[in-house]
Amino acid sequence: MNFNLTEEQHMLSDSVRRFLENECGLATGRDNKSSDQWAKIAELGWLAIPLPESVGGLGGGAVETTLIMEEFGRVLAVEPFCAIGVVAAQLILAADSRQAEVLLPQLIAGNFRPIVAHHEHEARGVIEHVSLQANAHGDKWLLSGRKSLVVGANAANRFIVSARTDGDLRDRAGITLFSIACNAPGLQQNNIRLIDNRWAAELIFDNVEVSAMNVLGEVGEGYRAIDHAYAHGLLAQCAEAVGVMEQALWITRDYIKTRKQFGVALNTFQALQHRMAEMLIELELARSVVYRSLAFIDAPTDERNAALSLAKIKIGQAVRFVCGQAIQLHGGIGVTEEYSIGHYFKRAMTIENELGSSHFHLAQLADLELRKSVAWVRE
Amino acid sequence: MDFQIDPADEALRVEVREFLRTHLPADLAQRGASGFHPLRADQRRWQRILFERGWGAPNWPTEFGGTGWSHLRQFIFDEECALAGAPVTDHGGLRMFGPVIYTYASSELKARLLPAILRGELFWGQGFSEPNAGSDLAALRTRAERDGDHYIVNGQKIWTTGAHTCDVIGCLVKTNPEAKQRGISFLCIDPQSPGISIRPIIDIGEGYSLNEVFFDNVRVPVDNLLGEENMGWTYAKAVLENERATSAEVPLNKRKLAQLREIVQRECSNGERVIDLPGFAQRVAQLEVDLRALEWLTLRALTEKSGGTSLPYGSLLKVRGSELLQRIGEMTVEALGQYGLYVYAEPEENTITAWPMGPDYAPGVTADFMYRRAATIYGGANEVQRTIIARSFLEL
Repeated sequence: MNFNLTEEQHMLSDSVRRFLENECGLATGRDNKSSDQWAKIAELGWLAIPLPESVGGLGGGAVETTLIMEEFGRVLAVEPFCAIGVVAAQLILAADSRQAEVLLPQLIAGNFRPIVAHHEHEARGVIEHVSLQANAHGDKWLLSGRKSLVVGANAANRFIVSARTDGDLRDRAGITLFSIACNAPGLQQNNIRLIDNRWAAELIFDNVEVSAMNVLGEVGEGYRAIDHAYAHGLLAQCAEAVGVMEQALWITRDYIKTRKQFGVALNTFQALQHRMAEMLIELELARSVVYRSLAFIDAPTDERNAALSLAKIKIGQAVRFVCGQAIQLHGGIGVTEEYSIGHYFKRAMTIENELGSSHFHLAQLADLELRKSVAWVRE
Repeated sequence: MDFQIDPADEALRVEVREFLRTHLPADLAQRGASGFHPLRADQRRWQRILFERGWGAPNWPTEFGGTGWSHLRQFIFDEECALAGAPVTDHGGLRMFGPVIYTYASSELKARLLPAILRGELFWGQGFSEPNAGSDLAALRTRAERDGDHYIVNGQKIWTTGAHTCDVIGCLVKTNPEAKQRGISFLCIDPQSPGISIRPIIDIGEGYSLNEVFFDNVRVPVDNLLGEENMGWTYAKAVLENERATSAEVPLNKRKLAQLREIVQRECSNGERVIDLPGFAQRVAQLEVDLRALEWLTLRALTEKSGGTSLPYGSLLKVRGSELLQRIGEMTVEALGQYGLYVYAEPEENTITAWPMGPDYAPGVTADFMYRRAATIYGGANEVQRTIIARSFLEL
């Protein structure tokens, strides 16, 4: 085993960090506008790095994605790298290799900005939950229903929508992927700002017409691609959380060394030293489960998803503790909108509550334990 | 020992509940239950309604217009009000400064201030903390120098809740810079005085209740001194002692837990209520366990005579009560699903007509959860409370 980064990976981390620190800063802006940084991000090649050469990528992988995402977490960047560069790119890659060769080079160039509209309110972490209906109508499809928490929708110039063409609400079979223009007739987009200053949308489909040409992959076979894309998205988000925690930890370390109460700097109180030690322990355990997930990212689906659930649980618990205590150690200033540390906590809360909370993933693992015990009894 | 609540106290609960049902305006209750910061206009209306019923000051003696209720009856009243979503009353005027005034102030100040507080015409800002005097409150530096019939005040206060809408700021100021605690006095300052500037502080729930207040050669009549000069610290300690039994905020915790229960029953996933999903009911049950333990520790604190060997109830209750508030909030945000992540702007009016999206119980939940990250910080950070427990009771 070897947990050291290569020379190239170090350089990637450094250059991503430099760019984000200089150009993106701490995201406290509340404007609903698509990022003007996107063209630069494309130019820097970050979108190409994790993708295979067959689609114009640079042949990196999930390791490179996690390195980039960790830096996004560190500066709380709001640019939709995860939504476009990870989730949408992986979805297209897994859904339709022929289309991937056409679409992904444009995505890498920065002028194709697809956002995956998959999540529905009642899903609560269950990936196969799709109620939005697509009904065949001649050689076209008509889509009706709702998607929500479509993060980065404000930056999109195309939506990739999961819809049910067959089966029941939570069947894995019968889910189809459609590529849809953002201004398609019958599609209503309501934007809302999230607590971490990213933007999301609720999409309401009222008989939105899609031609058969715009089906991605095979009809009814979309689940596998969504599962693959969400696995990569979840891993990216866990890596982002590590960056969030690490920066929150060091900001706090620096603060308690300068803040004085009772005539001495706060860092001289042993109770606070121990708290910070606990924060570091949680951070490093969290980083370790991200590495562990990287070891499983290409494993058979069940094993991979179990490893990702495990990571999301640990990450969710760690990020709440580390960022919560980062506020606590700051005192009152930590609860103000104009200071940075509260924003780390807010990003932490969105990570914890997106793509299945740690509670949801713990239930997944518990279910797995039960299945194991049934198997054991049978033996 | 007797573990039953007196029937007469229970009768009061019924009476208060009925009063709330008939007299608490629906628009006030909606705002009160939402989790957004209270509006001053709502607080004034509600205080007036309570005053007319004779309940303007549940914690004051009858001779000053209070109810003369026992601690337990006050607690019952607070619980019913919280559960009904009534606006919070003026903590500063009723709980902090009122008792200082009727205990220590001149009869002239008593006559001037107490009836106005009761009628909801005199709301108070609390000018205690300063940028470099938070947990270490005695380090405060705002200076009041005598100049004939006036004090000249210079300095800065921070975290002053409602300074922008209050009628008077009760300040702890230094009247003797040589002495630490012994040089502190209680001064009432008109926020409209020349030389005062107020700067809003927006909290991480994107709400506005907190302020910084700057004093630049502010002239304050000597008559506005509460009690005696240099006795402010003693008064402040006495006031905080009165607070000891309520610092777990059990009534608020009960309302928040009730709200969580409503949300886990109304939010659904694939036709199942969230409460029916694996693990949720257990987590709610755990919160119930912690709330009930806290409630009964509070009941002990409410009914026990205070004395030298008494437990430092206030500190025990503050630590766990504030933690519980945060844990309930965390689960409520999670139970809301995506609606817990949306920013719902704090409304400037109490009548909320239409939200951009989501169910009507969502707005305000996350804003309050974020603001309550301060619960383990304000009122004496939990770290300070633990030190008090260790030093004063365990003698460590």
